[in-house]
Amino acid sequence: MTERAEMEAALEAVLFVATEPLARARLLEIFDEADREEAEQALEAVLERYGEAPQRGVVVEQVAGGLRLVTRPDLSGYLVCLFEASGRNRLSMAALETLAIVAYRQPITAPEIQELRGVSSKSPLSTLLERRLVKLAGRKPVVGNPFLYRTTSDFLALFGLDSLRELPPLEEFEEALGLDGELLGAVGSAAPPEAG
Amino acid sequence: MTTRTAAGLPESWSVSLPEFEGPLDLLLHLVRVNRVDLTDIPVATICDQFHETLRLMEELDLDIAAEYVYEAAQLIYLKSRMLLPRQRNERGEEEEDPRQELVERLLEYRRLKEAAQSLAEIHSLRREVWTLPKRPLPEAEREDGIELGDVSLYDLLGSLRTVLLRYDYEHPLPLHLRGERFTVRSQVERLLASLEAGKVLDVLADLKARGSRGEVVAAFLAVLELCRLRIVRLHQTGDGGILIRATGARLAEHDLEALES
Repeated sequence: MTERAEMEAALEAVLFVATEPLARARLLEIFDEADREEAEQALEAVLERYGEAPQRGVVVEQVAGGLRLVTRPDLSGYLVCLFEASGRNRLSMAALETLAIVAYRQPITAPEIQELRGVSSKSPLSTLLERRLVKLAGRKPVVGNPFLYRTTSDFLALFGLDSLRELPPLEEFEEALGLDGELLGAVGSAAPPEAG
Repeated sequence: MTTRTAAGLPESWSVSLPEFEGPLDLLLHLVRVNRVDLTDIPVATICDQFHETLRLMEELDLDIAAEYVYEAAQLIYLKSRMLLPRQRNERGEEEEDPRQELVERLLEYRRLKEAAQSLAEIHSLRREVWTLPKRPLPEAEREDGIELGDVSLYDLLGSLRTVLLRYDYEHPLPLHLRGERFTVRSQVERLLASLEAGKVLDVLADLKARGSRGEVVAAFLAVLELCRLRIVRLHQTGDGGILIRATGARLAEHDLEALES
């Protein structure tokens, strides 16, 4: 076995065993510093082999700043025949709203989330904390020192995002709704007060 | 938004009503069903419909209802402000539309709700992707030890719980021994046994050697009993000590039994 082939095999093995996304740098640590260039080529080869190739059941995906092996999405139907989809239960709408707010407005406090949703968000927040999708990130230096919340790398991994930058910009949703800045600006000079 | 029906719900849930995520969600719903422009809300209509819905929702959770009631009050206030002609400031400009703040809140909420919706879609797509279930993998020891970034307050609380559980395990509650009971009879027997060879016993020293208050009392009573039955005699020494000496009389069995009661 050539050294290069062994490198590729080793990378495959590490990716197979890892249970969370491994950063490239971390992956390459398994090789000697001197072989860095060779190692990087080996990694590229592995990534290519485990790309969206239709002949393989597992692919390498880049999420949460790292690489990991996952099953090809279209094969899910076969998997549920044998395995129970444990821990993949749905998130309630309240939890998703809260998660969206934390994702887009982080770091954010619970009272600020409540202000945005117009409703207490304690229980969805604790659900998200339990499922490790959000985490505490210090306290805000305002009256009461409320906790600040941030999304976790588990959140990125669950939603297939490499980093928070990959979140679709909020403005996109505005466009989808057919709203633009002009309309927003028109509010100030709206029609005369209506009759009650 | 989902629709709740009475079936399979606790008794208190007897209403069948669309379930809203909060007052803002309800407002958006009303704006939608009335087919009005979010930026030009007919406050009076929406306000009345909002209150009408609240009446229907009266059987809902009180905690949730409080937030709706607050919003309802805000709407009435807004409605009243809409009835007044808008004042002009010094520069002759009309003051801001009173609905401005509400519109901004609704727009922001709608944006985030859309974002939540798209997260929901991604979530359901991602459910098709399987990975190894999370399990702790023994990691090779790294020089920097624990990666601090991965430790949350929840992890700390979890560790604390483990420590406390282990502490409880390692420090079980003290054994509860049943209190020893000392009988006068057993003390009589003990005293007689040590007096047998015509020995002299220091009463105070003997009492001091007892292990507990109960035993001291029993031993003291035993000395008194033995005196009464003339089986021992007490002698006082010059320095205030009390000595006990057997008289030689035998203790009758029935006397011993009488001590039991």
